[in-house]
Amino acid sequence: MPNPALNDLRVIEFAEMVSGPMCGKMFADMGAEVIKIEPPGRGDEARSHPPYPGDVPHPEKSGFFLYLNTTKKSLTLDPASPAGVEVFKRLIADADVLIENHRPGYLESIGLGYETLRALNPRLILTSITPFGQTGPYRDWKGTDLVEWAMSLTGYNTPTLVDDVDKENPLRAPGHAAEMMGATNAAAATMMALFHRDATGAGQWVDAPCWQATVNTSKLEMAAYSYVGIPFSRLRANVQVGLEPLPCRDGYIYTLWAADSHWKALRTLLGDPPELVNEIFDTHAGRHENDDILRTLIRQHLAQHDMDHLVTEGQRLGLTIGPVHTVAQAAHHPHLEARGAFVEIDHPAAGSFKFPRSLVQMTATPPESMRAPLLGEHNVSILSRLGYTGEDLRRLHSAGVI
Amino acid sequence: MGRLPLEGIRVADFSWIINGPQIAQWLATMGAEVIKIESQVYIDIGRTNPAGMADRVAGVNRSGFYHALNYGKKAISLNLKHPKGRDLAHDIVRRSDFVLECFPGPSAEKLGLTYDEMKKVKSDIIMISVSLLGKTGLEPSRWVGWGPMACCFIGMFDAQGYPGGPPRQTGGTWPDYAIASSVVFHALAALRHRNRTGEGQWIDASMGETVIGQMHEWFTDYFMNGRDRRQWGNRDDVMAPHNTYRCAGEDHWIALAVANDTEWNALRTAMGDPAWARDAKYANQLGRWQNRDDLDSHIAAWTRSQDHLQLAQRLQAVGVAAGPVLDSAELHNDPHLWEWGYWWKMDHHEVGERILPAMPVKLSNVPELNYSYPPDLGEHNRDVFGGLLGLSDAEINLLIQEKVIY
Repeated sequence: MPNPALNDLRVIEFAEMVSGPMCGKMFADMGAEVIKIEPPGRGDEARSHPPYPGDVPHPEKSGFFLYLNTTKKSLTLDPASPAGVEVFKRLIADADVLIENHRPGYLESIGLGYETLRALNPRLILTSITPFGQTGPYRDWKGTDLVEWAMSLTGYNTPTLVDDVDKENPLRAPGHAAEMMGATNAAAATMMALFHRDATGAGQWVDAPCWQATVNTSKLEMAAYSYVGIPFSRLRANVQVGLEPLPCRDGYIYTLWAADSHWKALRTLLGDPPELVNEIFDTHAGRHENDDILRTLIRQHLAQHDMDHLVTEGQRLGLTIGPVHTVAQAAHHPHLEARGAFVEIDHPAAGSFKFPRSLVQMTATPPESMRAPLLGEHNVSILSRLGYTGEDLRRLHSAGVI
Repeated sequence: MGRLPLEGIRVADFSWIINGPQIAQWLATMGAEVIKIESQVYIDIGRTNPAGMADRVAGVNRSGFYHALNYGKKAISLNLKHPKGRDLAHDIVRRSDFVLECFPGPSAEKLGLTYDEMKKVKSDIIMISVSLLGKTGLEPSRWVGWGPMACCFIGMFDAQGYPGGPPRQTGGTWPDYAIASSVVFHALAALRHRNRTGEGQWIDASMGETVIGQMHEWFTDYFMNGRDRRQWGNRDDVMAPHNTYRCAGEDHWIALAVANDTEWNALRTAMGDPAWARDAKYANQLGRWQNRDDLDSHIAAWTRSQDHLQLAQRLQAVGVAAGPVLDSAELHNDPHLWEWGYWWKMDHHEVGERILPAMPVKLSNVPELNYSYPPDLGEHNRDVFGGLLGLSDAEINLLIQEKVIY
């Protein structure tokens, strides 16, 4: 049974790698019929992206592809060929949404620009996810996740609290954070466009760029410039309150002690050691002025305690404190297991593995992931529905269209 | 303004600080009536944080931190610790489609802001709860925390460092923003479901789980191969060169990502075809990937004396994915962000003209979203308590005296 929330929607996904497919996955897991168009032969580029079970590359076994394409149908099709354009147009005629992540102008160049699509189906929502958007001087710039990320203050500020500029270059976040941000923004904006269409009858074109999505995640740092005139700096020497993972006996913890109540809780947690029970640390201003000494002392004391004790006891005392887990620790954490944060998905080629379950949890219509499709798995069922005969299919196949 | 997508939808917004307000801002700019419920007892700390005060002059309506996250909304001041305040909040919920809150579990319970309570008030309500690690499950569901703590818990900061080094922190408060548009998408799917079936529901959003999804390949690699990738620096699974390189100046950088031979040849030509780059070990994608560290030191030596903005322009012109790491001034003056429409100028009665970020998406049929200026504390008390709830001026005045409206 597909998820009932969006089970009346049909989405065509003409996209590869991360941004477009992630957006399509969100619709598919919420119940929409998502038809993924893949290049005949090689399929989505994500199929050649690791990880693979046992590190053996195989187009049906990429964990990267299998996560990003759950619950979809796969149709191999080359819309740039004359026969392919016809199939594509038939698909568009009764679709609600087309998601694409090609460079700006590409759809137009193969005769499938927005005006053409709108003429075919005035109710269609075209969602274009690109590095920089459909207008502006960087429109035709090439972007990748690293580039989109690095051009934001969030990217400049990763990692935070830099001591040595010569050794610490700005880093990308693990994974494809900028592309993911573009994908979820596109999904939200597409839903807005659907509500707009249901009220007005008219579809529209959604422009969802990944760079702007990432720039938008440093609103406070940007406001500090526009409102207070402070340019943002990642150097520790320029940062007022520095938060970072701090080592303890068996790992790292993360905490802050800005408020008086937090500071008292932290002191108690560390056993009220005499060097910390000092009136120069009693006020926020005093702690701030003596940050260097205080930080050194706190590090010395944290190093004598275990992570679990510090976190459990600290939270009980009202301290904002948490553990710094490795991915392996998180993958087995009882809280995440209790929440069902990972789900086992069986796939005929790849086998059965756990994957992250969903971005959010819901009680009545929870996002549900069915396995990703094999390349071209749904060619026959989709094309038959569009009115193509067995003869047509053979013709399209031998011409390399599907 | 033409028709906005969410006209007729109302949100009882009990959220504060970053993630909840960012969610509500999506809904408000797209046309929902968002009633932000604050009070002098529970003031949004975005209003009071000294680091955001316009021109360093303190005032509850002057903070850029609040303004950047709260335009498009209405604000009322209602004391939820007063029993009458609670009743009035329920009256608003009864007239709303969504309830939004982002308190830690125990605080939400104390204020009665749980799905069990809210569905008693309105049976088909869609309740959105945003928290560190979700509001069900084990002890961590009751922890107090903020965005970066979610990254710590799920392994993101451990994976954020330089290879072999300690865990490092991702910039800003990434999960607060990362979760916002995910929640908005699922909340609108829930609204569609309610419109079709009459069934409401609870969205229990965990910042930790959103970020797990964003770095899925770290988890898939672990589940498929038992491998914990730990810190990868800027290494990519496929591309090389793929890094940030130092440019001229104190702390200026350029990001470069080369995906194929064509791009590599373009980069080589732009570098003046140096002898080292002709080495056979760099001739194909796999060779470049295997020798990426050597490659990086050569490229870094070449970028070190160059201007990051000009170099990016030059490389993009020949088809290489390159981007300058921008500082605050460069971002605020960036010609692309202005022309695309990311920045907008707000004229505000207390702080004057300021540049604020607009929504990072554009809809062709909705050229103008709701960018009404961020509300003053309690600005819409008369509008909401009088207009929406139908209280008389005398009743409202009494509630003010009793510090219910406060």
